[in-house]
Amino acid sequence: MRPRLVSDVSSVGRYLLCEVIVSDRSRLLLLDDRAIAIAVKATVARIHGDYGAALCSVGFSVKYLNAHTGIVFLRMPKRCYKLLWSALPFITSIETRGEKIQCFLNCLHVGGTIRTCQKFLIRYNTQQLHRMLPKCKNEEEKQQVSQALLNCTLVGGTDEAFEDELRSEEDEEECLPNMP
Amino acid sequence: MSVFMDLNLIYTGDRTGLRTLLETAAHLGFSTVAINYVFEPTSKKKQEIPTPTPINELIDHLPVVQGRSRPIRVLNRLTVVMSDSSHFRPNATEYRSFDLLAVQPTTEKLFHAACMLYDVDIICISVSEKLPFFFKRAPVNGAADRGVVFEVSYSAAIRDSTLRRYTIANAINLMESCKGRNVILSSAAEKALELRGPYDVTNLGLLFGLSDGDAKEAVCSTCRSVLLHAETRKTASGIIYTMRSCSDSAGQEGAPGDPEHGDPPAAKRHKLVLTQ
Repeated sequence: MRPRLVSDVSSVGRYLLCEVIVSDRSRLLLLDDRAIAIAVKATVARIHGDYGAALCSVGFSVKYLNAHTGIVFLRMPKRCYKLLWSALPFITSIETRGEKIQCFLNCLHVGGTIRTCQKFLIRYNTQQLHRMLPKCKNEEEKQQVSQALLNCTLVGGTDEAFEDELRSEEDEEECLPNMP
Repeated sequence: MSVFMDLNLIYTGDRTGLRTLLETAAHLGFSTVAINYVFEPTSKKKQEIPTPTPINELIDHLPVVQGRSRPIRVLNRLTVVMSDSSHFRPNATEYRSFDLLAVQPTTEKLFHAACMLYDVDIICISVSEKLPFFFKRAPVNGAADRGVVFEVSYSAAIRDSTLRRYTIANAINLMESCKGRNVILSSAAEKALELRGPYDVTNLGLLFGLSDGDAKEAVCSTCRSVLLHAETRKTASGIIYTMRSCSDSAGQEGAPGDPEHGDPPAAKRHKLVLTQ
């Protein structure tokens, strides 16, 4: 394995894969990255005071948001992610576009790289699909869903291209399909 | 192998609210929850102890737990808020219909009695006031020896800043004497949005003065031991248990021992099966 450069060390982070849970799912579409970042920063400042706010200003960012499924990736510095994470349960609402959305964040996975989080997310989404399929009202609906699934393909093409994309860690949204 | 439990969901008369609460709990990955009936006697007049509503009347179809193929297990629990020693009546037949029994003492004397004498499973730590006493080592250790656990609930801390201070203060006060063992973390949620996921609750334990390992135990294995303790309360030392064979209460009202199967632990009943 390639030894880490000294400059890499400062950027070591933890990625929290969280799910935004709301009572009315249609309101998820109102969310955006900035609104979540602001809500998290405000809550950390409320719980941990100036110290928390200072920690939050370095190395914290919202890396990815899927407004359809309500999945969020939060990046936090490794040395204080537990402290920042301990403030997350106190989020009760996110304010976006002049509206307050009552919600909470449920952490699903903590990973050292975006890649492990992505792997987990793919597995998790598959699992959600299996949970949802029995809720189909009739056989026809079930057929339609499975047909739609079979028609899905990755935009990125082969697996290798996929990995290259990840190494650069640039275009994360491309590599996060809803289904494997 | 971790099975998460949340042994405190406040009962409200609202059926749809309770249903969404159970569905959210199942979605978050809690495989066992307990519906909590709070009973607060006042000295003025005698009050009725609430009777638990059977689960199948509350919700007709139990949701499947996240990541598992089983439906969520729902238990009944009674919490008696005590301000006087006459409020808790040992051997009351009304207590029998609940799977779990908890008390919330408000004075030091009652706390001592609850730890050392009362036949309960859970002692709740108040979150609405700063407790007027310190937790002494002797009663806390006594409770640990008897298998009684302490409960810290977090949803009040989410609702309000003052209650958050009280919760954290009381929790840290408790952790100093019990050193993180025999503690469970539960929600005491009335609405679905007051629940939190099991990993978040574990991490929240850090604020309450628990270490990583202890916090994890507070949502899984200690809860399991509470259920086993509740079972021994009903049985003779957890060995013999009598029940009417005509009732069809296999799933929900069966012994609350094993969190996964819904039927009693394999080790205890195995020999019986062989001899039959």
